[in-house]
Amino acid sequence: MKKILTLLYTNFIMLTRQRGLIISSLGLAIISMLVFGFLFGGSGSPKTLLGVVDQDHSAISAQIVSQLQKSDALQVYIGSNDEEQQALKEGHRNAIIVIPPGFGQQMVQGGADLQVFYDQGNPVTTAATQLTVKAIVDGINRAVTHQPGPVTLDQQAVAAKDIRQIDIITPGMLGILLMWANLAVGIELVNWREMGITKRLAATPLQPLAMISAQVVARLALSLIQGVILLALAAWIFNVHIYGNIGLLALVVILGALTLLAIGFAIASFVKKSEAANSVLLLVSFPMMFLGGSYFDVNGAPSFLQPIIHAMPLYYLNEALRQVINNGAGWSAIQTGVLVMVAWIIASMLVVWRAFKWL
Amino acid sequence: MISQEPLANTPTTHAEAEVMVDVRNLVKSYHHKTVVNNVSFAARKAEIYGVLGPNGAGKTTTLEMIEGIRMPDSGTAIVAGLDVQRQKSAVQRIIGVQLQATTLFPELTLLETLQFFASLYPKALDPRQLLSDVALEEKARAHPQDLSGGQRQRLALAIALVNDPQVLFLDEPTAGLDPQSRRMLWDIVLRLREQGKTILLTTHFMDEAQLLCDRIAIMNNGQIIALDTAAGLIGRLGAQATLDCCLDGRATKSDIGGLDGVTGVRQANERYIIYTNAMQSTLVALLAFTGAKGITLTDLQVRAPTLEDVFLELTGRELGGE
Repeated sequence: MKKILTLLYTNFIMLTRQRGLIISSLGLAIISMLVFGFLFGGSGSPKTLLGVVDQDHSAISAQIVSQLQKSDALQVYIGSNDEEQQALKEGHRNAIIVIPPGFGQQMVQGGADLQVFYDQGNPVTTAATQLTVKAIVDGINRAVTHQPGPVTLDQQAVAAKDIRQIDIITPGMLGILLMWANLAVGIELVNWREMGITKRLAATPLQPLAMISAQVVARLALSLIQGVILLALAAWIFNVHIYGNIGLLALVVILGALTLLAIGFAIASFVKKSEAANSVLLLVSFPMMFLGGSYFDVNGAPSFLQPIIHAMPLYYLNEALRQVINNGAGWSAIQTGVLVMVAWIIASMLVVWRAFKWL
Repeated sequence: MISQEPLANTPTTHAEAEVMVDVRNLVKSYHHKTVVNNVSFAARKAEIYGVLGPNGAGKTTTLEMIEGIRMPDSGTAIVAGLDVQRQKSAVQRIIGVQLQATTLFPELTLLETLQFFASLYPKALDPRQLLSDVALEEKARAHPQDLSGGQRQRLALAIALVNDPQVLFLDEPTAGLDPQSRRMLWDIVLRLREQGKTILLTTHFMDEAQLLCDRIAIMNNGQIIALDTAAGLIGRLGAQATLDCCLDGRATKSDIGGLDGVTGVRQANERYIIYTNAMQSTLVALLAFTGAKGITLTDLQVRAPTLEDVFLELTGRELGGE
């Protein structure tokens, strides 16, 4: 037991003493958060401009509209479909919601569809708007499934819609932090091999798997601690609120960290020199840094980039983090992302299994 | 000339002592090149056993197979009665290993490094005591990269000793060290032998092998080409002395070989190394020969033969020339 604790402790303090690692993960994330937070205003943000087209004119649709009008985060405009579509095109709306004819009737029967249109022109506000509208729809859905009849929008879900830039940026920075903190395990292993440390360990009774496991656990611990520091700072300075379940958030953080660790191990499997490992790491992390959606919304990116974006584990990690932190989402909302990350872990482990060499 | 005696015919002075390392017919190839070719030898308790040879002779690979770092293609290595391939962990608990130029975790202090290695064994010595044993107690809070070459080798030695091993492997322990550091390391190694530890060391320094090792295996091109005590190896030259001199171009190797008492001659350009079993007669004959022919004789040295001469004789090349 003491042996395991020493192994974990040693791996952990080695990580905390790697200044480059701490700066590139936590340092960079904090600086980015501060820059974006102060640049775009940490407190108070323009309300989401929401057009509402009520083609149903039922008691239920009227209730939804009045609930939306009560929200502080929204500036609600009511008009005809043509008027609102025109306003959206001209940039006077961030999004419009169309309540189609028969909506109230269908809702009572259990299934109804809303149409939502976004302004894709401004990628910076799109993410915030999308989250807001998702929260509204969530609220309506919850009202429907739990109590058919008079609609009351879930107040928490409506409150969650007061999404500012800094709220969007913070989960993204958490994602970036996890990427830098964990992908670098690849460089570490290549270094150990190149410096002859793994060979020296091979002459002791220590099993390579024990050392690797300790390194993984140490990185997970570091990820969680750094994540807590970042979120605590965000809460303290910018009043960023975590709406989701903390346990679920921790789970997403651990899964994301594991995904990026697995990719780091895969890199270490086919790279021999630490210089090459550095290059490969940059080659992998830079596109993810910008296309993974940490700094800005990438749903509006050109279509030829979409397949690349949707292959990136960081994209799904960021999505899942935003769903849980900003949107208070539960398990069902992050399922796809979780599956993609698990797929990345499995694929990376296959590479490791085929090609990884300790010596 | 040295006769190539069978390897089994080793001196029997310590025959009653327990065999701690028993290596039989080890073979290892990389990329179709045989790096270690049928190597066998045995080291006894409280013996310093030297493996001597130029770089690339296969010394390190041989040691790594005994240490359990590499698997041999064939052959066996038994340490303290345990088969390295079958009982690797058991062997690794009772051996200490200093690799050639190990770099350690740069993030850990010396004390933490030793504590970490100590935690890997069921029983370990006190890390602070070990640091003071190798005269590094003042560096306990320093990091490996802040140490000089000699200090680094002593740290590597301290780590190798952390489990109080019965058998110690030292791979080129003094390579790249200044004379003072080398002597310091030799003292520590000799002290360890007194504690009853068996020490296997590789070196390409003749003086080191001659001074430290109870027995020496000379390795070249993956094979052991001679195996004896230093005195025994030198004795096989059949020479009591070596004359080292420069003679100008008119001298020939056969002239010199015909002089009184000469048992062997090596020549490189104008430099001659003359082995003799009758130093005085040979010296007189050499002076008479050069005087009569008007050959210029310079840089004359008379010395006892060394392992260097043995190596030269065995391989036809100097040890330093890699």
